[in-house]
Amino acid sequence: MKSAPFEYARPTTLTEALDLLDRHGEDCKPLAGGQSLVPLLAMRLARPSLLVDLDRVPELRGFSAERVGAMATNAQLERRAGDLPPVIAAALPHIGHFQIRNRGTVGGSLAHLDPAGEWPALALLLEAELTVESKRLGRRTLSAGQFMRGPMTTALGADELLLSVSWPRWPAGARWAFAEVARRPGDFALAGAACTVIAGRTRAVVFAVGPLPQLAGDGDFEVTGDLHASAAYRREVGKRLLDRVMTQAAM
Amino acid sequence: MEQSLRVKVNGQAVKREVPPRLTLADFLRDRLRLTGTHLGCEHGVCGACTVLLDGDAVRACLLLAVQADGREVTTVEGMGEPGRLTPLQRAFLEHGAFQCGFCTPGFLATGEALLRSGRRLSRAELPDLLAGNLCRCTGYGPIVDAILEAAGSR
Repeated sequence: MKSAPFEYARPTTLTEALDLLDRHGEDCKPLAGGQSLVPLLAMRLARPSLLVDLDRVPELRGFSAERVGAMATNAQLERRAGDLPPVIAAALPHIGHFQIRNRGTVGGSLAHLDPAGEWPALALLLEAELTVESKRLGRRTLSAGQFMRGPMTTALGADELLLSVSWPRWPAGARWAFAEVARRPGDFALAGAACTVIAGRTRAVVFAVGPLPQLAGDGDFEVTGDLHASAAYRREVGKRLLDRVMTQAAM
Repeated sequence: MEQSLRVKVNGQAVKREVPPRLTLADFLRDRLRLTGTHLGCEHGVCGACTVLLDGDAVRACLLLAVQADGREVTTVEGMGEPGRLTPLQRAFLEHGAFQCGFCTPGFLATGEALLRSGRRLSRAELPDLLAGNLCRCTGYGPIVDAILEAAGSR
C-alpha cells in the first residue's frame, strides 16, 4: 500500500505545466486533488515516473455558472451551489464525503473517468464541452461524448491537460432530477440517474451501472457487474432510478 | 529526489526533506512521530486519518506530504491536552463517544471542521455528515450526542 518512487514537479504557470507534459508524455501524470490518483499510486495501479502537481497553476482555477476550471474543488462549488445549474447543486453532496470534496476537483474527476463518478454523468447530461490543451495539438474542445472513451479512459493524450468544462446557460423554467444509490452517503454510487427537461426536450442519463455514463431516455442501457454490485442489481436499480428521475423531472 | 517541505503542524513551523511518494499521514506518523493520526484503510474510506488542512477536514492518506507545502495542518495532538481538553473532546468523554479509540482522532477532526463551519447541526443530518468516518464500537449514537452538545444545539 505504498507508492513506487516518482519525481515531483509543481509548475506555477500553464505553459510550464504543458512543457513538462510535452517533455515527459507517457511517463508522467498530472496531479489534481489526488483523491483518486493517490490511492491508485499506493496500490501501484498507476506507476508514473513524474507527477505534475497542478495545484499552483492559476489558469486552472475559478468557475462561473457555465464554466468550471479543472482545479476547482467540489467544496468550492458546493459553497456557491446557488450559482450553478440546480442539477449540479443536487449532485455535489453525493461526490465523495465532504472531506474528499475539500480536495477533489472537477477536472480530476473527469480525467479519471470512473464510471461511478458524478461529474462524467453531469457532463454528458448537460452536453458539456471540455477544453483541453497540449503543446503538440494546441487548444481543442471536445464534447462529453468525444472525451469519454471507456472506463478510466479519456481522449486526452499523455501530453494533454484538461483546462475547463463548460455547458450551455441553464434556462429559466428548465426542470431536472438527480438520484443515486450508495452504501453510505458519499460512497461510490452503485447506480445513479439524472434527467433534465429543457424547452420540452427530455434528456436522461444513467451512470455507475456500466462502462460509462449513458443516455438512456428510452430505458435501454448497458450494465456490468463487479464485486460491489451484480449486473442484475444494477439493471434493476438503474431502471428504477431512471424511472424516478424522469417522472420527477416531468412533473 | 527529495523535496523540500515547509508546513506548519499544530502551530509549529516544520521544514523537512521528504520523498514525493510519502503521504501526509506517513509524514505525520513516521517523520514527526505524531502517531495520533491513525491509518485504517489507507484509501479514503474509513476516515481514521482525517486531519485539518488550513482548517478543512481532509484524508491524510489521500494527500502527499508535498501537497501540504506552505499550509497548516492540525492533528489530534494539536487539539487539546490532558487537563485542557477542547469542548468537543470533553463532550466525547462525557458521552462515551469512543471505546477502542482507533477512529477517535478522525472523528474529532471531522467534528471540529463541522463545528467551525458555522452550519447549524441537527440530529437528523449528522449521520450523513459523519458517513465518511467509520466506528466499529459505539454505534455512532454517542458520537452524534457529543458533537451536538459541543455545538450547543441540544
